[in-house]
Amino acid sequence: MDRALYTAASGMQTQQTNLENVANNLANGSTTGFRRRRLQFQDLMYQNMVLPGAASTQQTTYPTGLQIGLGARTAASEVIQTQGDIEATNNPLDLAIQGQGFFQVQMPSGEIAYTRAGSFHLDSTGIIVTSDGNQLQPAITIPPSATNITIGTDGTVSVQLPGQAQAQQVGTIQLATFANPGGLNSIGSNLLLETTASGNPIVGTAGGAEGLGTIQQGYVENSNVDVVSEFIQMILAQRSYEANSRVVHASDQMFQTVNQLTS
Amino acid sequence: MDSGFYSAFSGLAARMDALDLVANNLANASTVGYKAQHEFYRSLSAWLQPSLSTPINDTVNHFGVLGGANLDLSSSSLEPTGNDTDVALEGPGFFSVQTQNGLRYTRAGNFSLNAKRQLVTVKGDLVLGDQGPIQVPSGTLSVSPDGTLSVDGTLVAKLKIADFTKDTQLTPEGSTYFTAPQGAAKAAADVSIRQGNLETSNSDPVRSTVALIEVQRTAQLMEKALSIFHNEFNRTATTQIPQV
Repeated sequence: MDRALYTAASGMQTQQTNLENVANNLANGSTTGFRRRRLQFQDLMYQNMVLPGAASTQQTTYPTGLQIGLGARTAASEVIQTQGDIEATNNPLDLAIQGQGFFQVQMPSGEIAYTRAGSFHLDSTGIIVTSDGNQLQPAITIPPSATNITIGTDGTVSVQLPGQAQAQQVGTIQLATFANPGGLNSIGSNLLLETTASGNPIVGTAGGAEGLGTIQQGYVENSNVDVVSEFIQMILAQRSYEANSRVVHASDQMFQTVNQLTS
Repeated sequence: MDSGFYSAFSGLAARMDALDLVANNLANASTVGYKAQHEFYRSLSAWLQPSLSTPINDTVNHFGVLGGANLDLSSSSLEPTGNDTDVALEGPGFFSVQTQNGLRYTRAGNFSLNAKRQLVTVKGDLVLGDQGPIQVPSGTLSVSPDGTLSVDGTLVAKLKIADFTKDTQLTPEGSTYFTAPQGAAKAAADVSIRQGNLETSNSDPVRSTVALIEVQRTAQLMEKALSIFHNEFNRTATTQIPQV
């Protein structure tokens, strides 16, 4: 009897989540390496009043059944894996990945996290770290006397030391990729963790056969949020929320009518 | 008591169910691959005596029982997402999915890869190709309009697109899956698949809003009829006749 109320409520809840997701995408419109998410909805179970094909008489069957759906739910938030715009910064430690790879960074817990945000810095000991101070893996130390840092498209890091004609190689940045990058667990601060859904990381050299992509020095990858499509999602969410609230209202009025029957 | 009283009652009960259908269509306005359901009514008695044909009797009779819900299988608009594993069917047809409970069909092409690099639905069920589940090697996936999957130019598999005759009874099951009677599925003749797009819900908000108003107003009409039978006829009969 009050199915319509719960169905409309489920519709309102999913649209609310939709709006929350739009808000997060828009809020991260300028976050380096951010990948926008898109919510996936599914219909809930159906209540079978008349199954299609059930016998209406001994000779005939109902051509169409009566199945009443019980609303919608949010099933997943899919990460949209399109490349963000690459912006030139000319900062030697700003790195953008052109391809599907991820940088590996070590969190304070010792666990390895993965990120697309390639704006790196040096810490007090000359080790390459993220803006949060997490070390890039494998750890690379830049000597304090280095005058110039060059990072090749394959991740080779070399420095120019005073008094030396030859550049000196100090390490190689390795990238990781996953069978299902959409299954990575976002933990904020641009970091992602591996899960059973994502599969194990496949670590390799940039530009190699694993399809990790190449590293571009002096560029950062901006967020792939598209403001226009987010606004459209926002309008849809708002209107759909409104429509569902009308059902709540209609359902309420019909109950009211029924309640007044005997008066 | 008056049979009209019961007719109006069943009409009112049918409106409650109809409201549930409208609510479900509206709740799924953003569900990828959702197909709307539209209610239809059956008359209560097949033949109404001409002498009894009054507007109120006609309404009560002709819209007495909720006959069922027609599945609206019309295509809907496509929404670009940019993801390689998102695919949309432009014409008729359904993607075939292998679930724990057997073969299911869906229009929702929001697929992804699992840890084994198999093509799966949002629920994690395997999407079927002509040769069974599809395993995608690493590289750039492209899907051609006829459903052929290839990675960096190497052929991988072809999506199994099922089609049904008009009279096939498809049953929605939730999670945008449909079940069909065994053996009803045949290979779709001409398939048109768009990669990087998703088919939006075909539940039309305008139609749903109109349906909502209609359900609400006819429910009021049934209520009025109930109230007339109750107050004008029955109460008069029970309270005033004895006083004569």
